[in-house]
Amino acid sequence: MPASTKPAERPAHLKPLAPTTYLWRNFGKSAPLTSVIVLAVLLVAGIVSLMDSIPLSIRTIYSYSRHMLGVSPRGDPAMLPKLRAEIEEGSPVPLDRVVVCRASGAIVNSIVGKWPFVVLGLSAEDMRFYLDRLGTSNLVGRLPEPGKPEAVISAPVAKNLKLRVGDALLSPNERERYSPFEVKVVGIALTSEWAMLGDIEYQKSNHFPPIDYLLVFAKSRRDQEALDRWAEAKFKGERAQLFAYHLLEKDTNEMFDTLYKILNLVIGVLVLVITVMMGMLMNIYQSQRLVEFGLLQAIGYTRAQLLGRMLRETALVIAGGWALGVASAYGLLLAARAAYMEPNAYALDPLDRVAYLYTVPIPVAVLAAATLTVVLRFRRFDPVAVVERRIV
Amino acid sequence: MIRTEAASLVYLDHGREVFACRDVSLEIRAGEFVGILGPSGSGKSSLLYLLSGLKTPTAGTVRYEGKDLSELTDDARSRLRLSEFGFVFQHPYLLGYLTALENVLVAAPYDGRARAAMELLEGLDLGEKIHRLPHELSAGERQRVCVARALLGEPRIVFADEPTAALDHQAGEQVVELLNAHRGEGSLVMVTHDPTMLADAGRVLRIAEGRVHE
Repeated sequence: MPASTKPAERPAHLKPLAPTTYLWRNFGKSAPLTSVIVLAVLLVAGIVSLMDSIPLSIRTIYSYSRHMLGVSPRGDPAMLPKLRAEIEEGSPVPLDRVVVCRASGAIVNSIVGKWPFVVLGLSAEDMRFYLDRLGTSNLVGRLPEPGKPEAVISAPVAKNLKLRVGDALLSPNERERYSPFEVKVVGIALTSEWAMLGDIEYQKSNHFPPIDYLLVFAKSRRDQEALDRWAEAKFKGERAQLFAYHLLEKDTNEMFDTLYKILNLVIGVLVLVITVMMGMLMNIYQSQRLVEFGLLQAIGYTRAQLLGRMLRETALVIAGGWALGVASAYGLLLAARAAYMEPNAYALDPLDRVAYLYTVPIPVAVLAAATLTVVLRFRRFDPVAVVERRIV
Repeated sequence: MIRTEAASLVYLDHGREVFACRDVSLEIRAGEFVGILGPSGSGKSSLLYLLSGLKTPTAGTVRYEGKDLSELTDDARSRLRLSEFGFVFQHPYLLGYLTALENVLVAAPYDGRARAAMELLEGLDLGEKIHRLPHELSAGERQRVCVARALLGEPRIVFADEPTAALDHQAGEQVVELLNAHRGEGSLVMVTHDPTMLADAGRVLRIAEGRVHE
């Protein structure tokens, strides 16, 4: 037999009706369905991640409060020694240090605009202790000199405000970062925590209100939250205002509670729209294959077999679309973080678990809609109408 | 093998009863080639659907090996068609995304029939074209692939519904010859309006207005 007429190599096993066979060989038909799911997942994961980046930014920027309990007197600055004594005597955990500071206001940039930040006025010794508590003794530059308009900022603050050593952190010309003199950055602390530290004498001489604050540090960092919670209970209804990380968490959660309810509604509507759209697309997709279904049923495939095959195909399309959507969302969020968020020290978690959990209703709802469409299609399907060419 | 007793098939057309088949009583025996000859609209395709279980009679019975097809579930009739019957339809229906070989294998959903499918295609003179897609085949070649698909499961009966209608005369004759030659010990029931295609038939039934005459 000449080579040209030789039969092609014989495959051992062929499964022509395997779901993947149709999907791969009809990529142009299955790709639009997959793309809709990819885009939907991308959209939902992207929106939720960006939304989540706001509370994440709050937790990141004000994370320094995890290391201490801030206490200020309410209405009567003279109360401070009494508050200090009560804390030192009643603390349920061993204390490391109680630091007196004088604070003033500044701002940092966030994805949703400018947020307030505090410049803590500390003595040099307390500043060293504080930086150590933040996990660093690495400093580019030096600490402020007593009484001088100088400041140390942490690396994220420097990145966020685009400041380098020698630049002004506070200035008479800055409405939101005001100080009567230009407060120059003299050191940058290499820590992931956000911090602005100035000299306490300068703060006392130039900033209002003339109220001292206490920064209370537990001996062990693990005990800090216990101290915070004790203080919250102890000073409830008293003339003291507390600044603690768990209170920040609580306030943040309450603040975003309504927003997340609205988000749930929006995502719900989105899933509904996508489901209806996918239902219609599935209907068109199946209509294009009526001859195939008719032929297979005519030659002896049962409805259950055809239904099962169709559902396996659909499940593959949906699962593939979801997986691709998650991968695309992750890639896009990584790119967004690298291109925009990271250079501005904005917080964004490309692996935000909540964002990806929000996408789960999409494949579930689409699969339910597709199953319903397929079941309805096969319920009254007559293969004879196909082989007689009455419906094609 | 197949026996019908006063089988009728009635369609409702705008509320009016139309008899596609009327009181048909006949028997198809093992191994025989039976032609059903009739003009267009005479009910010959409907009769084929009744005999093969694609339709159930509205009156009377159709029995295969003694079993009343109307008493079987839809799925049981489907399984019967796949395991016992082969089909060649008027139009050479193939799945466009599958090669000739794969289209034949559709009739055998379980593994291990690839060699038999290739031998059938070679026997039908399609050995060089087993990996071609339907649009790369002529109409006659496509119908021959359908013949191979119908024969792959070594069916006890092959039902052919005007298998030559979409082909020229020569290609049509070739398809009938191949069907007849490759059916082995199975029966062949072929519907046609062209008497020349039934030259090899052992028996020809004539149908007019749904009634069958031997």
